[in-house]
This record gives sequence, C-alpha cells and structure tokens, in this order.
Amino acid sequence: MSDSVETLPRVPLFSPGRIWVLASSTFTQLVRMRTFYFLIVFAILVAAASNLDLLYTPAQKLRILKDASFGAMSIFSWLFAIAATAVLIPRDLEDRTLYTILSKPVPRLEYLLGKLGGVMLTIGVALVVMQVLFTGFLFFREVTVLASERQYLESQGEMSAADIQVQLDLIRAQGVQWQLLYALVAIFLKASVVAALTMLVSTFASSTLFTMIVSSIVFMVGHFHKLAAGYWLEEFGDSLFTKLIIKPIVMIIPDFRVFNVAENVVGGEPVSAAIMLSLTGLAALYVAVYSAVALYLFIDKEF
Amino acid sequence: MSVPAVEVRNLTKVFPLSLRKEYLVAVEDLSLTVNAGEVYGLIGPNGSGKSTTMKVVLGLMAPTTGSTKVFGIESRDVRSRNQIGFLPENPYFYKHLTAWETLKFYGKLCGMRGKELKDRAGELLALVDLEGARDRRLSGYSKGMLQRIGLAQALIQRPKLVVLDEPTAGVDPIGSRQIRDLIFKLKDDGISVFLCSHLLEQVQEVCDQVGIIANGRMWREGSLHDLIAIEDQTELVLRDASPELLDKIKALIESEAGGCAELIRSGHPRTTLETLFLDIVRESREAQDLKDREKLAAKEAKKQKPSSK
Repeated sequence: MSDSVETLPRVPLFSPGRIWVLASSTFTQLVRMRTFYFLIVFAILVAAASNLDLLYTPAQKLRILKDASFGAMSIFSWLFAIAATAVLIPRDLEDRTLYTILSKPVPRLEYLLGKLGGVMLTIGVALVVMQVLFTGFLFFREVTVLASERQYLESQGEMSAADIQVQLDLIRAQGVQWQLLYALVAIFLKASVVAALTMLVSTFASSTLFTMIVSSIVFMVGHFHKLAAGYWLEEFGDSLFTKLIIKPIVMIIPDFRVFNVAENVVGGEPVSAAIMLSLTGLAALYVAVYSAVALYLFIDKEF
Repeated sequence: MSVPAVEVRNLTKVFPLSLRKEYLVAVEDLSLTVNAGEVYGLIGPNGSGKSTTMKVVLGLMAPTTGSTKVFGIESRDVRSRNQIGFLPENPYFYKHLTAWETLKFYGKLCGMRGKELKDRAGELLALVDLEGARDRRLSGYSKGMLQRIGLAQALIQRPKLVVLDEPTAGVDPIGSRQIRDLIFKLKDDGISVFLCSHLLEQVQEVCDQVGIIANGRMWREGSLHDLIAIEDQTELVLRDASPELLDKIKALIESEAGGCAELIRSGHPRTTLETLFLDIVRESREAQDLKDREKLAAKEAKKQKPSSK
C-alpha cells in the first residue's frame, strides 16, 4: 500500500545543508579540473618578482612584489569567476546531471546558490593560498631588505640612529601589514559579484561562449561606465537617452573600480574598516540582486 | 484507499517554436494512472511525447493544461520528489566523482547522513554489482556501468516510485538483463515503476500496465495481459511430440470442430536471440570457472607435494 499525502516526509523549503552539499561538490569538481595548477604559475611569478634586483629603492622593491602579486590574484579571480560559472550550469544540462539533481527534493534556489557558493569557495581558497604564498615571500624580502639597508646606512655614518629608524620605517610601511588582508577581501568581493553576474547571464544564455562574452563585456563596462555617464550628463544633460539607457546601466552594473582597494594598499594609503564594510555591503547587495533575478529566470525554466 | 503513485489528468504540453508564432503540441489531453506497486510502461516511437510526459511528472516542466500528481502531491511541489528516483536516458553524472562519492552526493541531497547513508550506499553498490569499482571515477565507466550507478542513485533515498527513461539504451544484453532483474526486484519490494521505452520486448517482460502513445496522444492503455491476448486463438506447446501424435491432433481438430476451427501453425517454439546469447555467455563463463578451479587445484597439489615428503 502506498503512503498517503499526510504521511510523506516533510522536505524543508530551504536547507543550508543541501546548499553546502552542492557547493562542496562544485568545489571538488573545479579542483579536480586542475584549476589550482594556476597556483604554480603564481608561485613562480611571485618568486621572480621578489628576486627582481633592479635599480629600485628598497621600498620600491617591496611595492613591485605587492603590485605583481595583487595584479595576478585579481586577474585570476575575475577570469576564473567568469570561466567557471559560465561552464557549470550548461554542463550539468548537457550531461543530464541537472535532471538527476532537480528530480531529488532540491529547490532550484538551492541549486543556484550551491553552484555559486562552490565557485566562491574555490576562488576564496585559491586567494587565501596565494595570499599566504605572497605574504611569505614579502616577509622574507622585507627582512633581507631591512637588514641590508640598515647595514648600508650605518656604514655610511652620515645619519643618526633616529634618522635611520625613519628610513627603515618607510620600508616597513611597504612590508607585511594587516591592510594586505583588506586588498584580499576586496578582490574576493569583486570576483563574487562577477560570478553572480555570470550565473545570471548563464540562466538565459544559449551557449557557454555567449555567457563568457556577455559577462566579460559587462565586467569591462563596469570599469568605465561611471566615467562615461558623468561625461554624457555633462555634455547632453538629463535627456531621454540618459534616463532610459545611461542611468539604468549605471544602476544595473556595479562600478567595479571601487573594489580596487589593492591599488591603495600598494600605494601605502590607509584603507578604513568602514570602507571595507560598505564594500562588503555593496557586493552582498549585487550578489543578492543578481541571484534573485537568476532565480526568477531559472525557476520556470524547462529542461 | 491507496493513493496512485502517478496520476496524469488531461495533460497537454505545447512548445512555442522560435518567434514564428507556431506551436508544437508535444502531448495532448493525456491521462494515465500508475497504481502503487505496479510497473507501468509507456511506449511509443521517438518524438511521441514519452519524455515530455515524464519530465512533467518529475516537475522539470510545467504542464500547459492538465495536472500531474505523485502520491497525491502536485509534481511542481518539491515534496513530491522525495518519493521519486529518476534515471534519465544515457546518464553521465559528475565524471570527477567515484561511484561511492556519487551515491553519497545524491543521498545527502535527500537529507541522508552518517551511517544510514554509508550503509545504503554500500547496499546499493552490491545490488548493482559495482562494489569492485566503487572507488573508480565515473569518467572511466562503461555505458552499462553508468546505467547501473544511475539506477543506484535513483534508489538511494528508498523512493516509492522509480521513473526510468529508456533504462537499457546502449546497454549490452547482459547489462540489459541485470536491469530487468532489478526492475523485478523493485516490483517484489512494492516499489512502483514508471518506465519509458521503445523496446517492446523489454516492456512486455516487466510491465503490468502498458500505455501506447503516439503523436502526443494515448492510443491504447491497459494490462499487458489484455493488450497482447489474441482472443480467438489458442496456443498448444508440446514437448517430445511424435509426428504421429501431431497428425492425430490435426485430424481431431478437423473432425471435431466441424470446419469452424483451423490449425494455423505448429512447430518448435523458438528462444530469443538475447536468451541464446546469454546462455552461451553463461556456458562459456562456467567453462572458464571450471578451468580456473582445475588450475588452482593443480597448483595446490604441487605446493602440498614437497611438504608431504
């Protein structure tokens, strides 16, 4: 005899446990696709940058190392966010894995969040590994540069101990500092927004290539649209075109430049915790809005 | 009264064709019922609407009109999926996972954890005969093995309804026979099976109820016994009948029936190619086993000789 409706087990409408299962599976999938081989390239790059002995001042040497490392981390994260997210859903559909997942008691929202979570987890883990590698190299470089500079300045005998300390502090300002973590978090936030945007595109795109191209274009537009909009408003005022095209674009696409905290950190400019908090809020808002629209498109999608 | 496992009422599914304001009616006013514990076969040619019907039942598509229920719950309601195990046609699954990881993944999606999940995964691997390949990634699996792991994932949460879309597509006769045996086992365990296939022989073997669908419409539906019975014919199957006996029977029919009945055919019943193939494979395996055992015995005897001195 079959069960009656009343005796059927209840299925929670929202289960963080199921999202975690999907996210960890996506993480495993991406790791087994040998994504982390990029870390070898990164380690070589950082090692090369840290051994670059050109005619720079000691502080500049450390700055170059930070610049190269954050640059590589940033490129990896957004490139990976677009490429990995664009592939995941179409591949599940092509392999019919999506059918077997959605025919289990898995709400579509959880499927989307699981996939997005998996990409973010992979980017997060990769960034942390890169940060540890780079901080290690920076620390080693800082110690050696400080030692040689102290020795050099003392051998010159032209400076007092206090003046030498000032010179060394200038070098330390370019060394290992807590502010480096802010740059890491900002890179991660930017990549998360890019991943959510790519997931949204993939819910209506006809191919992976289309998703990648559209997401890349939107990502690039997000780096200059504020400037372009400012110029347009100044030149042509509040026209119909501005109202219908320019303003919605500015609102829909985030200004990705605000996430470039690494530039400030490399330049030695302090970044406040309040700025980081507002950046986190902004990224969370964009991820939430993009995910909500993606769900709206995905929930009635027929496979 | 028991609730039907699947209840499809007046289902119509229409697909718009691009931007030309043209439509394709994939399924039209289709109704069917799969009772609890029953094996139901939906058969029809390619493009007849079998898979569309199945997808609507699974909640992967919404009906244009009509309704589909699984154990009394609307298919679009996620709770209905708790009772369903689904094996799609030619499944691939995540190639980066092993069989063990695959079963754990699907089990966790159904809310299973810990010992319960481990025991169930082990039990299913034994059931589908994949214990030896449990730690191998699915990228190295053959089609038949993928089909079997697919069946195992479909059964992971002990569903009350199993939906199979062309379960033996691309599988060799041995794999096909194993899947058939598994369907019989599911039936013995009281699990309802909703099966889509265009392999009539397979459907005839396992199904209690059959629906014949073509061009999106149900043409015939009923118990297999009723559907395939030829009411005005009777078949006699004899063993070791002599030609004299057959002549007597023929004469009896001609004389007793008064010309109303006629003998249409008589002859030796034939086995199917599949059975013949399986018999040969079985026979060859038995011969190989015997050979292996003889070799082993000879080895053992050789080992024991020096020690007996």
